[in-house]
Amino acid sequence: VTEEKEMIVQQGQEQVPALRSRILGTISQTVHDFRVADKSGKVDMLGRLGFFIPAIASTIIIVLILAFLWYESVPIFVDPNAGPGIIVSPTWDPNRDLFGIAIFIIGSLLCAGIAIGIAVPLGIGGAIFLSEFCPMRLRQPIKSVIEMMAAIPSIVYGLWAYLVLVPIIKNNIAPITQSTTNGLSLLAGGLILAIMLLPTIVTISTDALQTVPRSLREASLALGATQSETSRKIVLSAALPGVGAAIVLSLGRAVGETMAVLMVTGNSLQIPYSLFDPTYVMTSIITNQLGYAFVFPLWRSALFAVGFILLIMSICFTLTAKFFIKWGMKTRGYI
Amino acid sequence: MQVSINSESFLYRLYGRIGLKDAMKSRRHFSDYIFKILLGIIIIIICSPFFLILFQVASVGFWQVFGTGTGQGLEFLFTFPGAGLEGGIRNAFVGTVELIAMASVVGIPLSVFGAVYINEYTRPGYMREVIEFTSDVLAGIPSIVFGAFGFTFLVDFLHIGMGIIAGSVTLAFMMIPTILRTTEEALRAVPMSLREASLALGATKWSTIWNVTLRAAFPGVITGVLLAVGRVMGETAPLIFTAGNSLSVPTELTGPGSWIASMPYTIWAYISDPREYLQVKAHGTALALMMMVLTIDIVANLISRKVTRRLV
Repeated sequence: VTEEKEMIVQQGQEQVPALRSRILGTISQTVHDFRVADKSGKVDMLGRLGFFIPAIASTIIIVLILAFLWYESVPIFVDPNAGPGIIVSPTWDPNRDLFGIAIFIIGSLLCAGIAIGIAVPLGIGGAIFLSEFCPMRLRQPIKSVIEMMAAIPSIVYGLWAYLVLVPIIKNNIAPITQSTTNGLSLLAGGLILAIMLLPTIVTISTDALQTVPRSLREASLALGATQSETSRKIVLSAALPGVGAAIVLSLGRAVGETMAVLMVTGNSLQIPYSLFDPTYVMTSIITNQLGYAFVFPLWRSALFAVGFILLIMSICFTLTAKFFIKWGMKTRGYI
Repeated sequence: MQVSINSESFLYRLYGRIGLKDAMKSRRHFSDYIFKILLGIIIIIICSPFFLILFQVASVGFWQVFGTGTGQGLEFLFTFPGAGLEGGIRNAFVGTVELIAMASVVGIPLSVFGAVYINEYTRPGYMREVIEFTSDVLAGIPSIVFGAFGFTFLVDFLHIGMGIIAGSVTLAFMMIPTILRTTEEALRAVPMSLREASLALGATKWSTIWNVTLRAAFPGVITGVLLAVGRVMGETAPLIFTAGNSLSVPTELTGPGSWIASMPYTIWAYISDPREYLQVKAHGTALALMMMVLTIDIVANLISRKVTRRLV
């Protein structure tokens, strides 16, 4: 046994110089190749390096974003009066050094939840229509309109919601339940978010539905199922991973949407108890207060902590969507 | 006899034509029919906000952008705002164009060359997956987080200061994922035989990429660039803390003289203002911005359709 051990140690000792000489050899070989190469060969080798640096740019940017947001939000997490407890503490009052961000997280999740609740049934319905029942003449115009909806800047959605949707909620919808509101409410935020999410859900789901093989539909129809039964029970369940990815991606967009929500949710520091109560979401607090806060270290740090949580949430949503796609590739072979 | 007369009548033909005749056959056929009608209603609901928004913006802002009176039409786009923000939006219009131009100068090479490296030099594996994953993560990051990052990294840490450079570099970061993924797809669609033919003629990889591969993938690259430009053109949140705002165009690259206005920011500032005439100007700006963004989007779609048609 001891001999074997010695052998292994010896091998390990031999491997280190071997590895080193191999690396040195590769480097000197590269340098030698570069020196003997003609002009176009030199350009080729330098060009490879020139392409490599942009390739890792996106990775570097992600690392920088994580590092800087973490660096900026550390002070609030290590502060004795604040600490990690700010995530569940509901009082935000920078004047008294109270930086609870729970109300923003609740506001964001409620807004996104309402938006998803409205947008998912509509979006999946629209996707089924586009991929299964749409007459050929109508398909391209409808697709173009939906793509253009995705391109409209969020500030324009915000403008429309502020000037059209909010008065409608104030004058027409709120009186139904005998509640009074100035219209700037959770419902307005959820509705405009739902409208903004619809293009994403419809486009990705339509693509997912269209990758379902034709043979599945034909088999179902041949068994005597009606078209609606085929599309609901066969096509939709076959495309479930793609639809799931669409929903998760749009959820990420809903939580991260800034300008439109900022303009219509009323920005009031309270937990909303009804649809017509104003609320405050995570993106709005950063937009509204970072400008004033950057000279107060703790306040500024709390806002960056909100940004850091947003970042972690968006990374989680992307990971979940990737998981859905992997699941689809594994169980169905397409997505 | 009664039936044959009925089948001639208009109502009966309509009854067959809209499918009700089939739908009445059984309960399952009826629910099938209802389901289809429901989907038709849903697609109308989905598309209607686009026209409602267009109507709202155009009904107030149309004469601001297309009118011929004082302060309307081209005069609106090409005069600086004066006292009390009367006048045009030249600061915002020129600001947006300058920001997008500088963002493109930084962002397009970064993402196109990155995609070339992933597709031409790496084998499918660990490195490619990492880069693709990070660009997907980058695409999902909220715009306000980009703004906060640009503020702490570019403005504060690198001491660039608010202004045109910080604003456009932040926008360039946001352009990367869109262009990278579109370029990658376009490069993947270039047939291997083209590259092999070029390499067999003795060309280096570098000249193959520039003269053959990128040229064949050019329409796809342009599509990605246009989509990315259209997307960042309407972004407000990243610019609030990085570009600042200004009533004129920037005169220097750093310092307070480099603060720059943009059209989305101007819409936000004008719409939050209680003065009545600023609402009209906000609508005019929104209409101009929407027209720019939608034109870019339509052109991108036209190019990409041509590409797919040619490849198929």
